[in-house]
Amino acid sequence: MTGKDIIKITLNLVVIYLIGGLILAVVYAKTSPIMFKKAALEKEVALKKLIPDADAIEKLGDWYIHDKHSEYFVARKNNAVIGYVIQSFGKGYSSYIDTLIAVDTDFKVIKISILGHAETPGLGDEIEADTFKNQLAGKDAEHLKIVQTETVDYVQAISGATISSRAVTEDAVKNGIAFLIKTLGEGGHGRKKDTE
Amino acid sequence: MAGKKTPSNLDLIKNGIFRENTIFRLALSLCPSIAVTNKLENGVLMGIAVLFVQVMANITVSLMRNFIHPRIRLPIFMLIISGWVTVADMAMAAYAREAYKQMGLYIQLIVAFASILARAEMFASKNKVVPSMFDGIGMGLGFLFSLSIISFFRELLGKGSLWGYAIIDAKPLLIMVLPAGGFFAVGILMGFFNWLSLRYEKKM
Repeated sequence: MTGKDIIKITLNLVVIYLIGGLILAVVYAKTSPIMFKKAALEKEVALKKLIPDADAIEKLGDWYIHDKHSEYFVARKNNAVIGYVIQSFGKGYSSYIDTLIAVDTDFKVIKISILGHAETPGLGDEIEADTFKNQLAGKDAEHLKIVQTETVDYVQAISGATISSRAVTEDAVKNGIAFLIKTLGEGGHGRKKDTE
Repeated sequence: MAGKKTPSNLDLIKNGIFRENTIFRLALSLCPSIAVTNKLENGVLMGIAVLFVQVMANITVSLMRNFIHPRIRLPIFMLIISGWVTVADMAMAAYAREAYKQMGLYIQLIVAFASILARAEMFASKNKVVPSMFDGIGMGLGFLFSLSIISFFRELLGKGSLWGYAIIDAKPLLIMVLPAGGFFAVGILMGFFNWLSLRYEKKM
């Protein structure tokens, strides 16, 4: 390799990095605001969907589950508290399942929504289906239990995805509610055991 | 290449879709063809992302083919490819968020696609810009076509739906959306396309 080669190779790399960096910078400047705006909007829409009656949903504070940072919110209507929303994680089969849970003032589940997960496609991802999520509505901490048979009082596991179902119900939702009860200090009735 | 008559642009496209189809004929880039094809939508979006990267990488490599020092051509090709992949990645994160959440990782993995690097090395670095572009379009379309077919059958059989809309009202063949079903789908389709080409290319 001659000196000329070395200079040419250096020049090659410098030019490529400069042009590449420039292109990436332009694309990033164009796309990142859209991305962040959409991500923030998604969260807001997800919160609103859980408690459609609320006219204001405010952040109350932060908490941690599975060493992950989550937040919880209070939902108000005409200045009266009508419920809470808490973000929680459940340890699933192949991922942590990111969940939003809305509860009423008695800490009974109103609705949940799955924000993100990487469970098995076709099996575990059925946790996103309404048929599963609707089962949790109206349940308090004591009835958040996965059973394998048909049930009204408890939550029936998705066939082939017991671990994912359990992660949502008995980990994310139950721990989230337990935390709310502990923190907001109301109703001793739902406080069964701390699974943390 | 000398002595061979230069193929027309249409031939280049056809070559990528049929004779040198990335998945069914060359058996390259099989990882994404199994990983992201459990839904038609994902398969199509992945195919479009690859089409974009393949065309842009081919054009860039072809434009720079006299400038790049032969000793470092492969690292340079990788840099070019990864640059365009990052562009595709950022664009998808902004404009196709739902799909991006499910397959973000595989978009980034396009960098390592053997088929894209192979076209840069074998075709774009030896040919002018326009044929390189058409070669890229052909290879990209071939990939898009393969992924669409695979994901079409997997979603239809495994979920009973297409593009998220329910089509068949019966218990689906769950195995088709699981990884094992991916192997079945790719294997059977690959066999089918090879049988087709054996049958029809013999006459030529």
